[in-house]
Amino acid sequence: MRLIKYLSIACITFVIIAGIAIPMVPQPQSWLEFPIIPGLEEKARNIFFHVPVAWVSVLGFLFALYYGFRYLRTKDLDYDMKSVSSAGLGMMFCILATVTGSLWAKFNWGSFWNWDPRETSIFILLLIYGAYFALRSALGSDEVRARLSAVYSILAGLTAPFFIFIMPRIVGGLHPGAKGDTAGSTPVAQLHMPPNMRVVFFIGIIGFSLLFVWLLNVRVRAARLEYQLSKKEN
Amino acid sequence: MYEFLNQNQLYIVLVITMLIWSGIIWYLVRLDQKVGQIEKRLKKDE
Repeated sequence: MRLIKYLSIACITFVIIAGIAIPMVPQPQSWLEFPIIPGLEEKARNIFFHVPVAWVSVLGFLFALYYGFRYLRTKDLDYDMKSVSSAGLGMMFCILATVTGSLWAKFNWGSFWNWDPRETSIFILLLIYGAYFALRSALGSDEVRARLSAVYSILAGLTAPFFIFIMPRIVGGLHPGAKGDTAGSTPVAQLHMPPNMRVVFFIGIIGFSLLFVWLLNVRVRAARLEYQLSKKEN
Repeated sequence: MYEFLNQNQLYIVLVITMLIWSGIIWYLVRLDQKVGQIEKRLKKDE
């Protein structure tokens, strides 16, 4: 865990510095120059921050699915705590991805919200996981809540990859990687990135993923303590 | 504001990183409160 902490701090610090400080020039000659991407210009730097945040939200939902599954197999409430904590983190990063994406959209596409397929799908995801937390708060007993929310998080987590990776590729849209966009047909939404941008981008993905693991760990430890206390008090 | 950001697009990146940063801070503050409550309850038990 200590390694994860330091590595995530190092990666994210590197990405903030490299992502902002490396100059953009029309004809890059060295590794310390990014090309100017027509239509994006300086805004291309948002890729280093906006995309990893969106990626972490998927990670949170998939972890919630996995721990929900483990809960159903073992009936160990610890997995329920892990499941709800990662869903909460996924939700937070999902909101951040929506807000940052919406600001970027204002300057690239002219409006905060365009109902682009990816915007629509993240909106539906927010609704799905909003319902998840509503469901949890409506149930009183620990076991019933854990069981129902594990089932829900599995169902909801199964839809997440579809909404994030598949649906925005089937229909045409504004994001790179949409149908008809020949430039960006790679896994996560990205452009034809030059190698140095790609390195910064993937270090960002790694850094934010590790940050997620760290935050999840602290959140789960707090939840465990709270649970033990409430058991002692009763 | 819109004009300024449109002219100086690097500041859009700044706003976006700050939004993400504020999200993480908000999460940490909430977690801090939670741990504080646990500490309080522990003290009561003693």
